[in-house]
Amino acid sequence: MLSKMILDCWTMNALAAVKINGLLDRIDAGVSQVLEVLNDAIFFSIGGMPLIVIWLLMAGVFFTWQMRFVNIRAFKHAIDVVRGKYDDPNSEEGEVSHFQALAIALSATVGIGNIASAAVAIALGGPGACFWLTVGGLLGMSTKFVECTLGHKYRIIKPDGTIVGGPMYYLSAGLAEVGLHRLGNILAVIYSFTGILAILVAVAILQSNQSLAAVTAIVPSLADYGWIYGALMAGLVGLVIIGGLQRLARVAGVIAPLMCGIYILVCLWVLAIHFTAIPEAIATIIKSAFSFHAVGGGFAGALIQGLRRSAFSNEAGSGTAAIAHAVARTDEPVREGIVTILEPFIDTVIICNLTALVVIITGAYNNPDFANFSGTQLASAAFGEAISWFPYLLAIVIFFFAFSTIISQYYYGEVCWEYLLGDRSETLFQVLFLGCILLGSVASPQAVIEFGDALLVALVLPNLLGVFFLSHQVAVDLEDYLNRLNASNLAIVEN
Amino acid sequence: MSLFNKERVLVPIDFSEASFNAVKETRGLVTEASNLHILHVLHPLHQGEPGVIWKTVNNETRKQHVEQAFYQRCQEAEYQGVHFSVLVGNPSEKIIDYANTNDIDLIVIPSHGRTGISRFFLGSVAERVVRFAHCPVLVLRRSD
Repeated sequence: MLSKMILDCWTMNALAAVKINGLLDRIDAGVSQVLEVLNDAIFFSIGGMPLIVIWLLMAGVFFTWQMRFVNIRAFKHAIDVVRGKYDDPNSEEGEVSHFQALAIALSATVGIGNIASAAVAIALGGPGACFWLTVGGLLGMSTKFVECTLGHKYRIIKPDGTIVGGPMYYLSAGLAEVGLHRLGNILAVIYSFTGILAILVAVAILQSNQSLAAVTAIVPSLADYGWIYGALMAGLVGLVIIGGLQRLARVAGVIAPLMCGIYILVCLWVLAIHFTAIPEAIATIIKSAFSFHAVGGGFAGALIQGLRRSAFSNEAGSGTAAIAHAVARTDEPVREGIVTILEPFIDTVIICNLTALVVIITGAYNNPDFANFSGTQLASAAFGEAISWFPYLLAIVIFFFAFSTIISQYYYGEVCWEYLLGDRSETLFQVLFLGCILLGSVASPQAVIEFGDALLVALVLPNLLGVFFLSHQVAVDLEDYLNRLNASNLAIVEN
Repeated sequence: MSLFNKERVLVPIDFSEASFNAVKETRGLVTEASNLHILHVLHPLHQGEPGVIWKTVNNETRKQHVEQAFYQRCQEAEYQGVHFSVLVGNPSEKIIDYANTNDIDLIVIPSHGRTGISRFFLGSVAERVVRFAHCPVLVLRRSD
């Protein structure tokens, strides 16, 4: 009797499960279709080059020209400011120093994308892609300068001394100043809404999913324990954002510069081993950047892949870094803007180029054995070719990169959420965020993953549209600042 | 005989213009500045905040800033002697706790009149204070 009841119950459960699975499949198919359409719309391409990337590049060229090559002429000043030469903690308002703001913004952008980007660009576009990747990074420096200066200029200092700022604040307040009040408000709401979605999908789901994929590509035995990885990641992030474990939060702040340092050292080590091959590798890069008969995609392939990967790796134009830089302790928005030019430089010009050199010098990019490898696998194979245990170090670096990216980008999402829905419903965002981290490790929703990239890039639309209206004032402020700097009216604080 | 006792009147403020208007009007209602209790409730610190990560911001620094901002705003002689406090937590809970601990006779609170999605997510502090307070609550409606 009992066994019959159990059997009935089991059959009913099985039937229910089939029904639920069928429903889930239908929802999945429907959602995938919608996401695909949106994805195609955002990445509408001409000759393999998405229009949105062309727009980003035009913005980079325009801002570089309008700011009269701020990316080059203010470079030394940026380093001086980060070194603390101009820090004055007593008289200026803000939460953190220039260096601390840079570390937070860097931890949000430097991640697995930087390691994979260069390798993918070379795999698809040939070594010449590396050259165009660098060009894209250099142009991104000017874009980042403009958006972060605006982020700092239109920040809001709350009565408790904490600060909030970012694209939604300069879009609404800045555009109102130039008589575009309505447009500003609309763009700010679109930006915040897209920002929340982007952080949940492109950061929580994607970082957890992609870092797990990258780690298991290096250590395949971990593949069956994806949920443990997700639970560990969600648990650690939860300890910081809900548990308030400040010591761990601090780790997220300092880990990005540390991991960047380790990664750069590892790359230099591999390059040192093959130092005789460096001139030839550089010659290959330059030659294939302009050659119509190069390896991979030739000139067009190199150009498209290089520029496209550069846009994805440094996030210049998406405006997110302006959220972190708004809290910097200074009364000079231009000074903070100048600091941010170092970000695409470190993130794209240095890190991506070093990865590219490693992949080229070790011959991993044209090794037929690695033909079907993903970007991270290719980079890992290149490192492994140099020193056998390097891939394991790479796995650790990737885990920490993902952790620090998740923590820093959580703050960006929180600011978007607060702008749109107020700060009292933050718990809901925290729960969604942690849920998405876990989801990313147990499921591999391909459509969602592709859509994540699209969402981050979609932030460029409302952001750059507003920035174009406001950039003239930034150019005026920049000249005023540099004139005062040259006239030595800006004090250097000797520490 | 007045409708309610005005010995200990509490005005919760959120640094909006409406809340400073409430402070001004209530000051006219009470005889002494010391009859007036003003409270600001801070939201718990966001843990992802750069200042938290780098340990440059904590609840103490926030309270100091709030006090400074308040006394800068209300520096006239008529406000000398008011009781100003800053607490951290859920606004409606903290307002009610404060009223209970300090034997408040009347709470004067401005209402922002939020509607739609922001009302759904934020609710109304005034609404909850009216519902749970043990003393009379005077809600000042937004004039516009």
